[in-house]
Amino acid sequence: MTLSKKTLAGLGSAAVMASMTFGAGIAMAQDGQLRGNIRVVIGSTSTGGDTYQNSSIVVDKLAEHLDLNMKVDAVGASSAFRTLDRDARGNTLMIFHDQSYLGHLYGVEGYENIFEKYTIGPTVAINPGNAYLVPKDSPYETLDEVIAAVGDGETVRVAIQPGGVSEIGFSALKNAVSIEHPGQEDNLVAVNTGSQSDKNQQLFDDQVDMIHGSVQANEQYTRLAEDDQKAMRFVWLTARQDTIEQAPEEGLGKTSREQLLEYVEPNVHVTMGDDETFTFDKEFFFLYNKDMDPGIVEQIDEALTEIYEEGEIQETQKNSFFIPNFKPSDEASEYLNEKMSRYEEIIDNIK
Amino acid sequence: MESGLSNLLSVSIDFGTSHLLFPTIIHWIMAGLFLVILVTKVVPFLAAVKRGERTLPIVGEPMDAYRFFGTLVLIVAYFYLMDVVGNLFPYTGYGFLFVSMPFVLIMSLMYMHEWTKKAVIIAVINAIVAPGLAWFILAKLFTITLP
Amino acid sequence: MEFLSLLDVTFFLLAGFGALIGIIFGAIPGMTATMAVAVCLPLTYALGLHHGLALLLGLYVGGISGGMVPAVLLNIPGTPSSITTTFDGYPMARKGEGEKALRVCVIASVIGGLISAAVLFLFAPMLADFSIKFSYVEKFLIILLALSVIASLSSSMLVGIFSGVIGIWLSLIGDYSISDGGNGKTRLMADFMEPYLFEGFSLLPVLIGIFGISTILLEAEKGVKSELSHERVKFGKGSGFSLGLFKGRLTNLVRSSFIGTFVGMLPGVGGSAASVLAYTQEKNLARDSSQMGKGAPQGLIASESANNALTGGALIPLLSLGIPGDSTTAVLIGAFTLQGIQVGPLFIPENANTWYIMMTALVFANVVMFFLMFFAIKHIAKVVMVPKHILYPIIVMMCVVGAYAINYGIMFDVWTLLIFGILGYLIQKVGLEVAPLIIGFILGSQAEVYFVKSLESFGTLSIFFTKSPIAVVLWLLILASVAFSIAMSLKNRKRDREEQIG
Repeated sequence: MTLSKKTLAGLGSAAVMASMTFGAGIAMAQDGQLRGNIRVVIGSTSTGGDTYQNSSIVVDKLAEHLDLNMKVDAVGASSAFRTLDRDARGNTLMIFHDQSYLGHLYGVEGYENIFEKYTIGPTVAINPGNAYLVPKDSPYETLDEVIAAVGDGETVRVAIQPGGVSEIGFSALKNAVSIEHPGQEDNLVAVNTGSQSDKNQQLFDDQVDMIHGSVQANEQYTRLAEDDQKAMRFVWLTARQDTIEQAPEEGLGKTSREQLLEYVEPNVHVTMGDDETFTFDKEFFFLYNKDMDPGIVEQIDEALTEIYEEGEIQETQKNSFFIPNFKPSDEASEYLNEKMSRYEEIIDNIK
Repeated sequence: MESGLSNLLSVSIDFGTSHLLFPTIIHWIMAGLFLVILVTKVVPFLAAVKRGERTLPIVGEPMDAYRFFGTLVLIVAYFYLMDVVGNLFPYTGYGFLFVSMPFVLIMSLMYMHEWTKKAVIIAVINAIVAPGLAWFILAKLFTITLP
Repeated sequence: MEFLSLLDVTFFLLAGFGALIGIIFGAIPGMTATMAVAVCLPLTYALGLHHGLALLLGLYVGGISGGMVPAVLLNIPGTPSSITTTFDGYPMARKGEGEKALRVCVIASVIGGLISAAVLFLFAPMLADFSIKFSYVEKFLIILLALSVIASLSSSMLVGIFSGVIGIWLSLIGDYSISDGGNGKTRLMADFMEPYLFEGFSLLPVLIGIFGISTILLEAEKGVKSELSHERVKFGKGSGFSLGLFKGRLTNLVRSSFIGTFVGMLPGVGGSAASVLAYTQEKNLARDSSQMGKGAPQGLIASESANNALTGGALIPLLSLGIPGDSTTAVLIGAFTLQGIQVGPLFIPENANTWYIMMTALVFANVVMFFLMFFAIKHIAKVVMVPKHILYPIIVMMCVVGAYAINYGIMFDVWTLLIFGILGYLIQKVGLEVAPLIIGFILGSQAEVYFVKSLESFGTLSIFFTKSPIAVVLWLLILASVAFSIAMSLKNRKRDREEQIG
């Protein structure tokens, strides 16, 4: 027995129709509130990195607090911005860090001015681990010696990943050289490299004299014996002193907070001119679609305020070596905008 | 002489345009190979076509146009509608679920040569169970984001 | 042996369960080991570190092995690293030897997995020190060596190389990624493509599009004949498998396992290059490799032992340098950070218990994988008995899920399936070859980064020859590989001519 093909094809399209009408009903709900399933896209493609780790801590708490389904998806910067662009309903949120505006400042393709294109949400945490390292047998004991050497005409090569968080410390350093030793700044050479493993490799190969890294990724390397080809030494943590002071006393791995404090200002001084010292805290914050309902912005601000008042999230963050740093959206937006203009100056100076 | 050779081999790369270096090399290799293939393979082949010994690929071959183009249209519609429907229910995976069911069914029926009652019933059951199961396990249990 | 007290029944159950789920993920076209580990990662937070690792390592081993199933039976690599398994596995399945092929694969897999686990256990820190001897230059040469296989892979050397170059070209579309140290500028595309193609085509959708969707298009063109999915596979007693198949293959098995381990441990080279390289070397070094690509068990042995050996290899840099060796270990690193444990050069000495626990889980997962697969093969192989009109829509559907999920939900990846499905169809129609093309695609972008970065660092082409003794050895291998391909092609041409005359 055979059935008519038409009937069945009709049945199929009817199912599609039915599901569409059903859908329209659900999408309408009360305004100004998060609803349904929420997806938080992040600017990194790695689920092992700090952005993912920090986002999942915050999003898990938020989901619990608001009793919603929320999920972190590591889609990467370009896809995250694009996904956020397309959804003004509040079902898509984004979490990223300073890279989002540094990429724009450095003129990297795919980055636009986030302060114009998006609504800035609350900041949630700082990763205090942004660091610069030299080989353990390096002639340079401190960052001051590096600056002095460059000022004396020595070439110092630094492995960085261009166009963002990894480059900003390098730019500040270059700026400092140009202030203290005008005309010598070109002796500080950036070697453009990719991942942390590539940067480490450049150091092992003696292709560079200093690398950008992080406390988390490089701490164990600093504890290797000096005759080990892989041994390194911190010379600079870009974080503010009071950021590191909030870190757990035991620090990270076997490097205590006290030891880490040796590598931050005022012990390490990278001038920005006028007695000002350069610091850089890698901060994580929310980004929203510009047309998203302001009610949702408020809702998330309120929820996070309550979560941070409870105090549990701070413990979780500190355990993972993040420094809690909650600022509601308005405050965060103003703060970050000001932060950006400071770095813009540095980048313009050394152009 | 030696310095001449090392001059020849030395290259300096401008970081700003380094994204074009490798593609340029590949373009030249590709163009060279294409020319060789054109001369040694394509020209003799076309000559053989002209003599009627060989037929052109695709256009000169027998084809089940209904199933071939049906498949293409169906896949395009499937991908497109999945996104559209999925957008109505953000991040629930319903777009995948509700569009996969008719897709699986229509494709099954299109590929089925003899429409027996039993075969159609199996196809219908499959069209409901397979996407349902995939959706339940992946979107619900493992919370994978689906369209 | 303090760690023994940390082992409990739950631990073994989780490792076994992980292997099972991993196999299922690997066996479904479009789902991969990486995905299996990624979706289960949040679970490990609740499980605690040791139980979590048992589950994840089980998933890793199972997922990599499971990839052989669709590779052999459907000609769709279940994971990117099982691509070379299709070369010989599918021809065998078509000859009705699918079950035999799978059994060969399972045995090769478990041996590869165990050898690499042993290497990991005994030599991890030492090998990590060796692996950092490989800078951009040496890594470029490794990629070049793997690429040299495309010359000998197809019936016509010229066509093979041309296809491979097209694959490389396709892999360059998009930006020269900043995360690889590039300048982040896009090339080979028009402005309107930028929103979609900024990061280029992503590997998994390309792979399942070009293998899966194009196969379905080719079948549709022929009218999807009502015959069973493929020529009948023989079942039961007649599987034709015996351990005798491994006779004289011991060198291949061991060599491929070591190649897999070794490639796995080079950060950035990773993954698919392992099985390709093992396959190349078997082709070059075996006494008789004329049947490879037409259904020779030796090809399966090379491919599968290498891709399972990858597991142990990729863990070497993870645990002794804090750097993942392939995409799956990149996800695995999250399990450690979530628990607040740093991986790096001091991980093993400072976390001896965790280290032993991981080794136990790895070995146990391999054993479980072996038993699960070896005895389930008879049933798994029946997948080809499913009528095509049921099987094909499901394959398309699962490919969609896999493509969409691999980068955590990007719709363009689904369209990539279709684009490369059609491309794969056209390529096969005009007589180009898919296998070299896809190898070119997989290795192309890495070749670029290592090539350009080598020149950037050293400023001279001569560095590729003079960098280190390792570079010289790699050049010798490349030359041997190329010479071999030329010899093979001449021999084939001579034989063809004789056949024509005769």
